[in-house]
Amino acid sequence: MPKKPSSEQLGSQQDIEQVRALILGKENHLVKETIKKEARHTVSHVLTEALHDRQNQDGSVDKVLQPLVEEAVKHSVNHNRERLVSSLYPIVGSLVRKSVTAFLADFMEKTNQLIENSLTIKGIKWRIKAWQSGVSFAQYAASQTFVYRVEHILLIHRETGLLLKAVDLHDNGKSTADLISSMLTAINDFVGDSFLANEDGLKEQLQSVSTDNFSLLIKPGPCALVVAAVIGNAPQKVSDQLQLTLEEVHRLYLEELNNFDGDDLPFDNSENLLRDCLLSEEKSLKKNTGTMSWPAWVLAGILVLFAAFQVITWFGNQQLADRIRQLDLQPGIILKQLNVLGHDEILLDVLRDPDAITIHDWFQTNGLSMDAVKLSERRYFSLDPDILYRRAQQLLKPYPDLNINWQNNILILSGTLDLLNTEKLLNALSVAGFSEEVNLNTRQLGSVSAIAPDNEPDIKQHVFNTLIGRISSVQFDFAVASEEVTPKMQLLLQSVYQDITRLIPLAKELNLDFALVVIGSSDKSGNKTANRALSLNRAQNIAQALIQLGLSKKSIFVTGLGQLDIARVGDTARAVMLNVLVTSKAIPQARSR
Amino acid sequence: MIQKKICLLGASGVGKTSLVKQFVEGIFNEKYLTSIGVKVDKKIISLAEQQVQLMLWDIEGQDRYHVFQERYLRGAAAYIIVVDQTRTISLRQGIDIHTLARQSTNCPAILAVNKNDLPAAWRLDEDEYASLAPLFDLHFSTSAKTGEQVEAMFLAIAELLHGNKKNDITT
Ligand SMILES: Nc1nc2c(ncn2[C@@H]2O[C@H](COP(=O)(O)OP(=O)(O)OP(=O)(O)O)[C@@H](O)[C@H]2O)c(=O)[nH]1
Ligand SMILES: [Mg+2]
Repeated sequence: MPKKPSSEQLGSQQDIEQVRALILGKENHLVKETIKKEARHTVSHVLTEALHDRQNQDGSVDKVLQPLVEEAVKHSVNHNRERLVSSLYPIVGSLVRKSVTAFLADFMEKTNQLIENSLTIKGIKWRIKAWQSGVSFAQYAASQTFVYRVEHILLIHRETGLLLKAVDLHDNGKSTADLISSMLTAINDFVGDSFLANEDGLKEQLQSVSTDNFSLLIKPGPCALVVAAVIGNAPQKVSDQLQLTLEEVHRLYLEELNNFDGDDLPFDNSENLLRDCLLSEEKSLKKNTGTMSWPAWVLAGILVLFAAFQVITWFGNQQLADRIRQLDLQPGIILKQLNVLGHDEILLDVLRDPDAITIHDWFQTNGLSMDAVKLSERRYFSLDPDILYRRAQQLLKPYPDLNINWQNNILILSGTLDLLNTEKLLNALSVAGFSEEVNLNTRQLGSVSAIAPDNEPDIKQHVFNTLIGRISSVQFDFAVASEEVTPKMQLLLQSVYQDITRLIPLAKELNLDFALVVIGSSDKSGNKTANRALSLNRAQNIAQALIQLGLSKKSIFVTGLGQLDIARVGDTARAVMLNVLVTSKAIPQARSR
Repeated sequence: MIQKKICLLGASGVGKTSLVKQFVEGIFNEKYLTSIGVKVDKKIISLAEQQVQLMLWDIEGQDRYHVFQERYLRGAAAYIIVVDQTRTISLRQGIDIHTLARQSTNCPAILAVNKNDLPAAWRLDEDEYASLAPLFDLHFSTSAKTGEQVEAMFLAIAELLHGNKKNDITT
């Protein structure tokens, strides 16, 4: 395949030659002549760049130049020995010096590592590894511990100390790099002048500056310095790379360095060269991902055991917590917070009704120990039915004649009790959380009308007043436009009736007369006269219901207020209120009351 | 970016450090802490077409050991001889330093007669001035305390250097 096109190419090459000859004819040599004249100028413009580019492309320039340069050097050595030696002398001298320092640095590094590691577990491990792989311990140790990272590279103009280019690992600009450059140069100048020149007549040069966190490695060249800021223990490799880069910079930018006038633009492209120096090495990362060492196994084992232990204790704690949580089901006890930190530390925060079982007793009956419990207990008043019943039992203890029935969480009392005690009991029960209709039924509780003769009139008066107060506070609420007495009202009517029957004997004994005033009202909606009628009907219906229960019609006065034009309640004032009017039997006494 | 190395030279206590501090940070301090070695500071100056970063080398007073450390002058684009107008001797010392500096560089030299907020201890007559002025490319009467002529001086230096460079290109 490739042959055919090549013969074709050859053909077309000839064609072009022919065309050229046809067009230019005899003038061909003229064109060539002109190009030749300009060639020197044209090529000189691009020669350096072209070489640079080509070298970057395939490195072929080196290969071509190398024999030429070798030849030239040979020639120089033969004919110009003196000059060559004097120019090479400084380089050779510093190379020797450099290798000596490098050797010393290397030696120090290794020694430090040896001292640091020989007595540790790692050290022992390394000894074994080194023995296994057949190298000396020192070699192995050195290979293991070079951990470093080059953070910044600065290229500094030797003469002015100005920063030409800075690159760093994290690309965060050259904020202080230019100051560092100048200061380093200043220090370098200072060192150079302050110490005696060494035997080869060269001024001392700073090679490195160290701080706690990093060290600056400095490679001085004739026109520029390369400085590396290194974290950790930089190996010789870094130094070598710096040297290479420095030489490369001098090779490529010699002209720019010599003509430097403060503009760093021509050095922009040195970035790639400098980046080669951003070397780093991470500490035996592969070791960790590969097989695990025995301490790691031990550690892992311990971790697993620890985790298992944690799970078991957690499980145990959880079970204990579940048991203690049952406490919340106990009537009269509310579990606010439970924190089982372990079998020896339990934080328990509860609310407890005084009538409920004590926490201590509960723990005992449930076979749990209180030893580890940190208890914080506060009192509260519970309306749990069990507690209410327990409370009622206690309240009813002084009245053994009464029958107590506890059904569906309702306390049903039956039997007879004198009026005074009835009042006392009912009061106590209401304080204890009982209320008629909700959880108390006293309909079968009959009162003995006769009051013991030794009862003081004051006490009777007090009971009388209490009853009147209770009756007067009763209010029946009606639905919109309704005058119907609902079954719900019946309960209330019943209690009003009972109160009034209790009132009758007391009034007699206190020499008083009383009458029940039944007052109806209506809301603002609708027509005024209709509302008046409605309110009266409501009152009448309530009065009728009381009469049906057995109250005397004579002692009831019924009235309707009509609609109530009062801002707040006007819209909802659909009610019947009760009031009791009391008078003394003797007329003059009534005046005084 | 264009960078220029500028050195401040002069006898001790004439206000080299103060001038740099005033120019870079806008701060002046009465307290005198004598400099040792070199302290480099930088400030970017915006010229019409370009920005120039001045690297200011504040060098210790040159009379202390009676030696002039010309090593710091290497590569400088210009140097400022600072003298203290309250001390006549500082002018003489400044001229001495200038003479020495001329042996190692021929970059532009600027004279800064500092502390102009204080009464002057000397008066230059016409002849003296005429003999002094040509020694320097620019001269200023500055005060690091009030800031008078400080910014102007550095700006003028930056322009001078930038102009020099442009001339280089055109010629
Ligand atoms: N009033 C006044 N005082 C100044 C001025 N400049 C400097 N000083 C004072 O002069 C003293 C010396 O100033 P520096 O700036 O430290 O002098 P220096 O030239 O750096 O001195 P060395 O570092 O020792 O060479 C300080 O106390 C300053 O406060 C100025 O313009 N006016
Ligand atoms: Mg100073």
